[in-house]
Amino acid sequence: MIFIIDDDKDMANCIKRAAKCEARVFTNGVEAMFAVSNGELPDLIFLDILLDGPDGFTFLNELVSYSDTVKIPVVIVSSFEFSEKDLAKYGVVGVLNKDTMLPQEIKVYAEKYT
Amino acid sequence: MESEVDGSLVAAHELKAPLSVLRQLALSLDGLDVENGKIRSEMVAISERAIKQVNDLTRVRRLKDGLFEMEPVSVCAICDEVSRELYHLFNRNKRELFIKYTNRAKLVTANHDLLYSVVYNFLLNAMHYSGDDTRAELIVGDYHDKVKITIRDFGPALPIDVWREIRRGWVSKPTSIAMRPGSSGLGLYIASMFSKYMNASIGAIRHRDGTSFYVELPVSRQASLF
Repeated sequence: MIFIIDDDKDMANCIKRAAKCEARVFTNGVEAMFAVSNGELPDLIFLDILLDGPDGFTFLNELVSYSDTVKIPVVIVSSFEFSEKDLAKYGVVGVLNKDTMLPQEIKVYAEKYT
Repeated sequence: MESEVDGSLVAAHELKAPLSVLRQLALSLDGLDVENGKIRSEMVAISERAIKQVNDLTRVRRLKDGLFEMEPVSVCAICDEVSRELYHLFNRNKRELFIKYTNRAKLVTANHDLLYSVVYNFLLNAMHYSGDDTRAELIVGDYHDKVKITIRDFGPALPIDVWREIRRGWVSKPTSIAMRPGSSGLGLYIASMFSKYMNASIGAIRHRDGTSFYVELPVSRQASLF
């Protein structure tokens, strides 16, 4: 199962459709972290950075601070440009730019980690 | 102290989000026949151009922050990149793109992304205004101690008031001038602002059967091969 965290529900649904696997959509990181603390551990997270409330980096910091979530792979999906290398310490395994990404790229990540 | 939020940057982000979704929706359409496949390609291409334009407008707002690094770049390499990107668009619109480089070796001092957008906007403009089954020309050559990129179209001549404005060296506003039919002048405005930032100058030549826009960029003294 994967988590998709994006305050743009339409984009989240596009990612869900492209991933072609069981997915939960969250519009903010707080709800997603709450689900995690209740025992739902996803195989992979697609994470937007600019979110309602705390941003994606706040979520990433939360994620890496707990032993049970530190190893969950994360793919950043954002309109901003980020270096995969700089984000590796947060468990980020990929960066997709919303302006240019392809549905196949989402599917590849979903297949690799689920 | 509360930081100031630039309304136009927020607006650009809000505008880009649905464009990105539309692009994803179009890309997710499967099992289309040839004709509908073409429609999907058009939808993707149109949304990508709109996203690019929003990104360019965002960059115009950020020019004053001086965040765009100037470095030695190859004009021809950038022109190759742009023409590759626009090749299919020219084909679909029954236009030919003629490219001629008289000097491939010289590097100019510029910002890669901004120069890419300048060439992209001028070429898109040329495609828009050239008639069916005609061609647009992209010519790169030396001009004194500068490299000159000229983009020629075979469409309606440029109105004299626009030519005068460009002759001043840059275009101050996209809507302040009466452009050719079907244009707000936005692409020209973007190209103009980016050129000004890079200490490049733009200009236009009126022909009886079209217009040439050009940009002259200072040669990089540090890294030119010849």
